[in-house]
Amino acid sequence: MTLPTSNRCDGLTRRDSIQLGALSALGLNIGSFLPLQNASAMASPNAIAPKAKSCILIWLDGGPTHLDTFDPKPDAPVEIRGPLSSIKTNVTDIRLNECFTQTAKLMDKVAIVRSMTSPLGEHNFGTHYMMTGYKPSPAIEYPAFGSTIAQVRKSKTILPSNVAIPKFTGNISGNGFLPTMTRPFSVGGNPATGDFRVRDLEFYRGLNLDRLNRRREFVNAIDQFSRDQDQSAAAIMHPELERAYNLIASPKAKKSFDLSEEKSKTRQRYGSGNNIGQSCLLARRLVERGVPFVTVTSTGWDSHQNIANLKSRFGNDRNAHLPSLDRAFSALIEDLDERKMLDETLVVVMGEFGRTPKVNASGGRDHWPNVFSVALCGAGIQGGQVIGSSDKLGEFPHRDPVTPADLSATIYTLLGIDPALDLATPDGRSVRVAPDNAKLIRQLI
Amino acid sequence: MRNFSISISFLIAIFLNMSLDFCDCSLNAQQAKTAPTSSAKIDFENDVIPVLTKVGCNAGKCHGAAIGRGGFKLSLFGGNPQSDFEAIVRQQKGRRVNLSKPESSLLILKPTEQMEHGGGSVLDLDEENTQILLDWIEQGTPQKTERTLIRVQIDPARTILDSVGQTVPLKATAFFSDETEKEVTRRTVFTAEDPASVQIISGDDENGPVAKVLRRGRHIVIARYLTEVIPIELVTPMTSIANVNAREQKTNFIDEEVLATLSKLKIPASGQTSNGNLLRRLTLDLTGRLPSTKQLKNSQSTSREEWIDELIGSEAFNQYWTYQFAKLFRVQADPKRHGPGGAKVYHRWISEQLRKKVGYDQIARQLLLAQGNTQKTGPANFSNTGKGARLQTEFVTELFMGARLKCANCHNHPLDRWTQDDYHGLAAIFAKVEQGPIVGVKKNGIVIHPVTLESATPQLPGQLISISDPMELSPGDFAAWLTDQNNPYFAKAIVNRLWKFTMGRGLVEPVDDFRSTNPASHPELLDLLAKDFVQNGYQIEHTLKTIAMSSAYSRSSRPKVDNKNDAMFYSHAIRRPLSAEVLSDAFSDMLGIPEKYGRQPVGTRAIQLVNSKEPSRTLDILGRCDRDESCEVPNGSSSIQGGLTEKLHLFNGGLLNRRLQNPEGRLNKLIRSGRTPLQIVEAFYQYGLSRPLSAKERAFWKKEFPVESATDAAPNSQPISTAQREKLEDFVWGLLSSDQFQSNH
Repeated sequence: MTLPTSNRCDGLTRRDSIQLGALSALGLNIGSFLPLQNASAMASPNAIAPKAKSCILIWLDGGPTHLDTFDPKPDAPVEIRGPLSSIKTNVTDIRLNECFTQTAKLMDKVAIVRSMTSPLGEHNFGTHYMMTGYKPSPAIEYPAFGSTIAQVRKSKTILPSNVAIPKFTGNISGNGFLPTMTRPFSVGGNPATGDFRVRDLEFYRGLNLDRLNRRREFVNAIDQFSRDQDQSAAAIMHPELERAYNLIASPKAKKSFDLSEEKSKTRQRYGSGNNIGQSCLLARRLVERGVPFVTVTSTGWDSHQNIANLKSRFGNDRNAHLPSLDRAFSALIEDLDERKMLDETLVVVMGEFGRTPKVNASGGRDHWPNVFSVALCGAGIQGGQVIGSSDKLGEFPHRDPVTPADLSATIYTLLGIDPALDLATPDGRSVRVAPDNAKLIRQLI
Repeated sequence: MRNFSISISFLIAIFLNMSLDFCDCSLNAQQAKTAPTSSAKIDFENDVIPVLTKVGCNAGKCHGAAIGRGGFKLSLFGGNPQSDFEAIVRQQKGRRVNLSKPESSLLILKPTEQMEHGGGSVLDLDEENTQILLDWIEQGTPQKTERTLIRVQIDPARTILDSVGQTVPLKATAFFSDETEKEVTRRTVFTAEDPASVQIISGDDENGPVAKVLRRGRHIVIARYLTEVIPIELVTPMTSIANVNAREQKTNFIDEEVLATLSKLKIPASGQTSNGNLLRRLTLDLTGRLPSTKQLKNSQSTSREEWIDELIGSEAFNQYWTYQFAKLFRVQADPKRHGPGGAKVYHRWISEQLRKKVGYDQIARQLLLAQGNTQKTGPANFSNTGKGARLQTEFVTELFMGARLKCANCHNHPLDRWTQDDYHGLAAIFAKVEQGPIVGVKKNGIVIHPVTLESATPQLPGQLISISDPMELSPGDFAAWLTDQNNPYFAKAIVNRLWKFTMGRGLVEPVDDFRSTNPASHPELLDLLAKDFVQNGYQIEHTLKTIAMSSAYSRSSRPKVDNKNDAMFYSHAIRRPLSAEVLSDAFSDMLGIPEKYGRQPVGTRAIQLVNSKEPSRTLDILGRCDRDESCEVPNGSSSIQGGLTEKLHLFNGGLLNRRLQNPEGRLNKLIRSGRTPLQIVEAFYQYGLSRPLSAKERAFWKKEFPVESATDAAPNSQPISTAQREKLEDFVWGLLSSDQFQSNH
């Protein structure tokens, strides 16, 4: 990106601005003219050849318990171990929660980081740190993975680059300082219902594509004439409107959201009593059609009460959170594998933090960011391994602590984005995709 | 709901970042070779604690954490010297200090890393800071403080630098109760709000610390000494234009102040907006509506002041400001809050107060003191806003003082004066209010102070007045203190909100985050506005009119080359998107057919809805505030509205399409009236943008809608063709979807 220095009232060169960074939130907004799209890649020489074309993030909103998912402590006292037991997997020495019967058979494809650690035990802060790699800052809100990818990758499809199913977490905006265009598009509704569809994709009665086209032209004309200083540019002034139009105009793109095209056997395999299953299936359809980032949001992991509810809430409950996650995650791995897409798709399972090792008086666990787990697979990463470990009681990292910043640098690297790449904020500051001090998790790559 | 405002997270993040910096701060050995070997009497509070703060021992990431670190807990940034003294001298059976062999004290061995220390080496043996600790132990760890800190002065407090790269030396002086003063620069922590704008270069023996400005603009550096936090303002002008704005018009004190700041920063102001647009801006700001045809017509023959008076006196003003205050007060029909019945009487009460022009001070007192059946007594519902005394304390202080006491629940506010005693002291006052369907007095209500684990002593924020029996402090005392004309928070908090409603950005931003480390962009203007408000009977109409009359208010939103990057000094008007409710009403007015909300009667405007969650997909998509939490959105980031979902809905949803096609809608009526398409286009520009077509626009639309000669010759003779009607529908749709229509500019 070259920058006409004459445009800058502070007379700084681009290089200066990189070195100096930026301007206070309290200062003037200098340099809002900086073109944001396609920040130039200044790849570091030791960049790793990326494998993943896309990423599915299974976001367990609320903060999933690490002890009752990917880091069971079968030998700990019962008040730590909790009411659920653990099972063997197809990899020696790696145990998982008893509900993960399907995932256990695929453990050789999955890597678990058991030494995630963060100081932020509040939902919004934890979400910000995990989804952006940055701790919340007084000056700027950082973009989440999907928004960064939507920003730096040239989209090959008219589908939105950053999709959330059924919607994005309410804890952060997602796009941070990047344009609202990069914010996740929430499909809405509940993919698990039979009549699920994305709203407003079909023409309103009496309308057709020609009229929609004319409408968007009229909007542009009205705004351009009104703000006549901008007239010179024939630029698209309403990128969101363009995107909506393009999506409506493509029957093929719209079909991507149609789960009824899937075989009923496939739909059953993912599970449908809990919307995480069909959400994962929809995510697979979308990455298959070129969407680079999909977030599947599963709510209800803030288990302050009765942790056993994650296994079953009533007699014969098959659709509690843990078994549903097991079905969805394992189905997704197998499905991607069968379609030869696993190597080019990164699947990440995580939430904003872990939960207190000691079960509380209500039989639940409270927020615990000091140590927790993240599961990853696909994108050519080495499965069947555990990275780092927590201590005996699952309280603190025991070996090889990994910060959310490290994880973010790793995820970006796996997706072929250099963590050192610079993004520009609207006020002209340069911000690295992942923090400066972030270390790659080498064992994963 | 877990949606804290993100700005709270900013604040905590500042504190976390600072903590980090402190922890990482290791001083190197060359810095202090000339440490004094013996010395004057060391004072625990004024000498020892500043060392602990300076090297980061009591930061949130280290021993200042709520549960301490490694079994050693200090109060955050030394906020509680008594407990720190206990922790250092008494706990661990006194092993932290060794009176006979000071250098073998844990307090020395750990930070110098002669013993294993989780925080690493933060002190060198031969530096002055270490010497202070050693001397203090040598002197027998005295606790008694001879003098208390009165204030800290930072020089300079504000300064203007001519160019980027210039440095300013920073100096801190402490003033004590015994009238002594002492230079404490080296014990003071300086942090740039934005390290990318200002670099703090820490000093050495010869030279003190300096701030180096890296970018143009206005920057803040925060100085911390003991519990004092002081902001320093550094300004580097944006241009080198001489005599900038010399000829700008000054209507009242607002213009004096705004122009003074612009001149200081050498930012030129944009010109005044057109009359038509000014009327649109005023009507939207004061009544939440577009100007009616009648208003547009009358505006030709009346003055700006007459417009404003008429708008302020209108029923629409009452409706709109009832809505604004209902949002501020978080009136909610949710059974968990006020319930449908309570919300209704509450809403009506707000409207009555505004109609009767009751002063805002009196409104606040009534809200704080109202008792009785919440289904009958509107203001009694106020006491049920925050569930429990603590949440009510947070709500009340945020609303009326613009302050965020939330942090002070668990520890003294790291960036402001608020302490845990302030927080729980005020909560103890609100604990005496019985919440529920019948609001009353709860004589024995208490809250437990998390530090003492006993019931907190009632206290007014900042203890600004002393009283003989604190246990007797009541909500009435708080209300009297709050609405006293000398209260430093109350008037400023509301005028700052009124300023934001009309000018697009608070003088203090976010408007609910007043603190010493978040200074106003125009401190004198904020003072003047508050004083003027108090002097004029706390009348919101008065302040709104004062702002609306200023030349700053009527400035064009069109930027100049030299001011286009200004977003906070009002060199040009700030474009503001219409709120979900106002936009939805504007759609209804333009289309000529009202939107229906839930089960409310047809014709109910969105701003009149008592229930902020009245079922409406339209309002959901346009991004309304549900009032679960504060409705403030952080500055700079747009609200949830917009996005692909909204655009898809505009294109293919019923929101606009249904009413565009309706034969009774405005468009079809105009068509039937026999006007030509071009006349219809012209009429919609008038309704929607309050202005006629420009020559270029006329030419454009004339090409789209060539005049049909038959219609031209004899109106009403021929119905318009379907193709023409559809094209007109598309035009109206385009207008309603344009940024120009959807914003106040």
